[in-house]
Amino acid sequence: MSPTGQCLVAFVFGSVVGLLVQRSRFCNTAALRDAMLFRTFRNTKALLVAMMILTVGFTGFISVGAGNPMRFDVGINQVLGLFLFGVGMVLAGACTVSTWVKAGEGNFGAIWALIFTFVGMFLFSLLWSYIYWPPAPSAMTGEISLERLQLGFSNAQTLQEKTGIPAIFFGLIQTAVLYGLYRVIRRHELKQSITIGAA
Amino acid sequence: MELFKKTLDPVIALSAIAVLDIFLFLIVGAWTVGGGETMMTGLIAQFFLGDTLDRIPFWHEVFRPDASYWKIYISLGMLFGAIVGAIASKEFFWRFPRRISEWVMITIGGLLMGIGIRLAFVCNVSTFFGLTPELNLGGYLSISGILAGAWFGSLIYKRVLEGDL
Repeated sequence: MSPTGQCLVAFVFGSVVGLLVQRSRFCNTAALRDAMLFRTFRNTKALLVAMMILTVGFTGFISVGAGNPMRFDVGINQVLGLFLFGVGMVLAGACTVSTWVKAGEGNFGAIWALIFTFVGMFLFSLLWSYIYWPPAPSAMTGEISLERLQLGFSNAQTLQEKTGIPAIFFGLIQTAVLYGLYRVIRRHELKQSITIGAA
Repeated sequence: MELFKKTLDPVIALSAIAVLDIFLFLIVGAWTVGGGETMMTGLIAQFFLGDTLDRIPFWHEVFRPDASYWKIYISLGMLFGAIVGAIASKEFFWRFPRRISEWVMITIGGLLMGIGIRLAFVCNVSTFFGLTPELNLGGYLSISGILAGAWFGSLIYKRVLEGDL
């Protein structure tokens, strides 16, 4: 597909996502923060259901060699980076999706968070230019490199290649785990509603 | 139209988004936001700094500013879709943080999100809607990081809410 076609597809996809997220008030930050702070799971359940659908869909297509999985080396930088991101999104009250969506509703706080996300990215680009870590895509090998704190690359496709078992099999195991989590939340909610009803 | 009169169940909304994300995965790649935001940062920096940007290795070794990068348009689309939704449902109005503590938290939060995305090469969207469903090891590493971060952030947030900070 041509770059223009890709951009058009991305824009249409983004527009539908923006509309659906705006109308549903879904927020990834709330999915984690509310579950931890307030024991409410409105957004957490939606996140789990989406992950179940995606796991079956992605691993199903990967099993037959279709799709475009992300491909880059991973390592300790994912843990550290997402730790910082997790703190940041709770403080800012919005994640990458909700900053755009709230900005579209006229929330200036979200626009401010977006501006400083860009500033943070630029500051990190300066730091990276001194430390050259994590490795640039051109320096990635796909192999474990302890001195660079990198664990290489592995996903459903590599699992299928190494074991000879279709990726969907592993996808179904992950889906079952996610469904187990969903059931625990539903049971917790039922218990809560019974307690409130009895009071 | 019913969609603009009442709030949509997030389970229904996210299920629809997940199905669309599978189509996107087949056409170009899974839903992500951080990559597009990084490219926007590069384009904005290029606008202000011009050729000086070439002296920063990150912007030619990791992300070379390119306006035809498809991931940019996911974010712009989300903004457009949200504006349409907000106007159609009469929910668009300008809101500003009221307290100084809110401005400070949003500023620090935004900075941490930007630094975190670039350090990790991924954002929350690619963690939950891309890497983990692809069974990528990076997804599990990212989830452990974001859960720990959200928990730590929640402790700070709680103290701010209680007026301790």
